[in-house]
Amino acid sequence: MPGLNANEYDAVIIGAGIGGLVCGCYLAKAGMKVLIAEQHFKPGGYCTSFKRGKFTFDAAAHSFGGYRKDGIVRKVFRDLGLDMLLNIKRYDPSDIIMSPDYKISFRSDVAETIKDFISAFPLESDNIEKFFHFLNNPSPISFARMRNWTFRQLLDHYFLDNKLKTILAFPLLGNGGLPPSLMSAFTGSKIFTEFLLDGGYYPEGGMQALPIALVGRFKELGGELRLSCLVKQIVVRDGKVAGVHFENNDFISSRYVVSNCDAMQTFSDLLGSEVVSKEILNEIETMSPSLSMFVLYLGVDNNTFQSLHQPGTNLWILNSYDIEQIYSKINKGHFDEIDDFMMRISPDNQTILAFVNAPFKSRAYWTSKKGKLTEIFIKGIMRNVLPDLTKHLIFRDAATPYTLYRYTLNYKGAAYGWSGIPSQSSFSRYRCPSFINGLYLTGHWITQVQGIPGVIYIGYDTAKMISRK
Amino acid sequence: MPDSVEKEIVSIIAEVSGFDEEEIKPDANFFDDLEIDSIKAIEITVAIEKKFKISVRDEDVPLITTVKHAVELVNTLLEQKAANARA
Ligand SMILES: Cc1cc2nc3c(=O)[nH]c(=O)nc-3n(C[C@H](O)[C@H](O)[C@H](O)COP(=O)(O)OP(=O)(O)OC[C@H]3O[C@@H](n4cnc5c(N)ncnc54)[C@H](O)[C@@H]3O)c2cc1C
Repeated sequence: MPGLNANEYDAVIIGAGIGGLVCGCYLAKAGMKVLIAEQHFKPGGYCTSFKRGKFTFDAAAHSFGGYRKDGIVRKVFRDLGLDMLLNIKRYDPSDIIMSPDYKISFRSDVAETIKDFISAFPLESDNIEKFFHFLNNPSPISFARMRNWTFRQLLDHYFLDNKLKTILAFPLLGNGGLPPSLMSAFTGSKIFTEFLLDGGYYPEGGMQALPIALVGRFKELGGELRLSCLVKQIVVRDGKVAGVHFENNDFISSRYVVSNCDAMQTFSDLLGSEVVSKEILNEIETMSPSLSMFVLYLGVDNNTFQSLHQPGTNLWILNSYDIEQIYSKINKGHFDEIDDFMMRISPDNQTILAFVNAPFKSRAYWTSKKGKLTEIFIKGIMRNVLPDLTKHLIFRDAATPYTLYRYTLNYKGAAYGWSGIPSQSSFSRYRCPSFINGLYLTGHWITQVQGIPGVIYIGYDTAKMISRK
Repeated sequence: MPDSVEKEIVSIIAEVSGFDEEEIKPDANFFDDLEIDSIKAIEITVAIEKKFKISVRDEDVPLITTVKHAVELVNTLLEQKAANARA
């Protein structure tokens, strides 16, 4: 690039999560000299896969949404030419919720999903139509009106039947880590439209294919990625970013710094109290991160499950119609009392991924609990779905909240950034903090829309903001 | 006072939308001209409430669609607040 020395960049991005990678691609496409520094030895953050023997597991994210014709993920992949590189398949149904009395499928054709709900809850048929109409025709003003609403208020606004409300709320606990009484109506609605009504997309080769394709494109556009490269400080001079320091003390100078890593780390460690006011640090101290997860990875012998359940579909097992109570048991770590979880047989029919939300605890706590919890969880799957499971089990392992933290440095192993309660929505005012010129935050800590669609949106939008300058 | 309300609001819109302050005309429509979507509409409303320590009633939210209308709304709410404080 003209005018810049080897250690000078237009923009440095901290973290090669999906948010950072998307942002990096757009900035490089706009002609900037961009460096992405990632502390892990592979890119993707929560969107990675790993191999154990002949099995490939998705580490955390295991499908994505927002890929409909005018969806944000489709737009971004098209802009970046990734739609041609990736072979993306949609699994139909994307999700099935099984409760003691009902089995509801989320189909690619939303009309079919609505039909399913109506045949289960005929007395609520008008309300179901209205609720889905509201979700499918989002209006910025109606969401701004509901900015202080919880998802519970939204459900109560539309429905009477408690079982129906619970079924609608359960996948939001898994995909957002909150019960309806705490989750903001906006976040909950977005989980619906982006994860459930337009979910079930999966790239051939596993979730790692997404960051691999993004990195490939980023490099073609002239971007530079450094792996195993931990950023330890964002250097600010006279109210303006100057660059970053790596762990090995190397300094890289840069006009813009984009942080894709967790917000607590960004403000407390990378910037620190010399740059960030006490008031803001205190505010962040009191904020609560979203719940973490306990993730089970199982490898099974060949073709065991072909006739049982559709591979590629998220199967939600709900045994109690009291989400608030499930949430409270999760927070207390009473896993032996929880029989509600998500599981998914992989598209290649070889593995099972299952998860339950879990609180962050020390490494020692999880080391002592991991084995027992794995057993409890396997028994739950056998009781509810696959009675013969242990006969076919070849491999088992699990990731605890501590594991998730260790690999991505997400504060408290949070699965979705800050927890999506209405009062925390104002954190997004720090997307480009006015007290530090040239600093931008991107990724799931700064968006109210969860998961891959949310971070793809914010990565794209962050690049757009920077390019406009 | 009115001047500074307008300045603050323009600065909020600039921060949220990514457009430069000079580009944000009093009559520009947030949704049609400044690419404000649902997320940003919430951010703007929340930021205005925080900045001026007011709460916008549900029925007034649709007024937050241009700088001009937002300034009028905030001024009205600030006057009401001052009147309430005096009462
Ligand atoms: C178990 C689980 C299952 C999930 N399932 C789904 C799903 O099916 N669908 C879906 O859409 N979403 C899912 N999510 C959520 C989704 O995966 C995340 O919200 C999303 O991937 C976050 O992307 P990100 O870019 O914001 O950040 P991250 O993925 O957290 O990436 C941040 C990156 O920054 C790096 N980093 C951190 N600190 C530093 C530093 N100091 N220096 C350099 N690098 C640093 C990290 O190593 C990491 O690579 C799931 C999450 C979990 C935990």
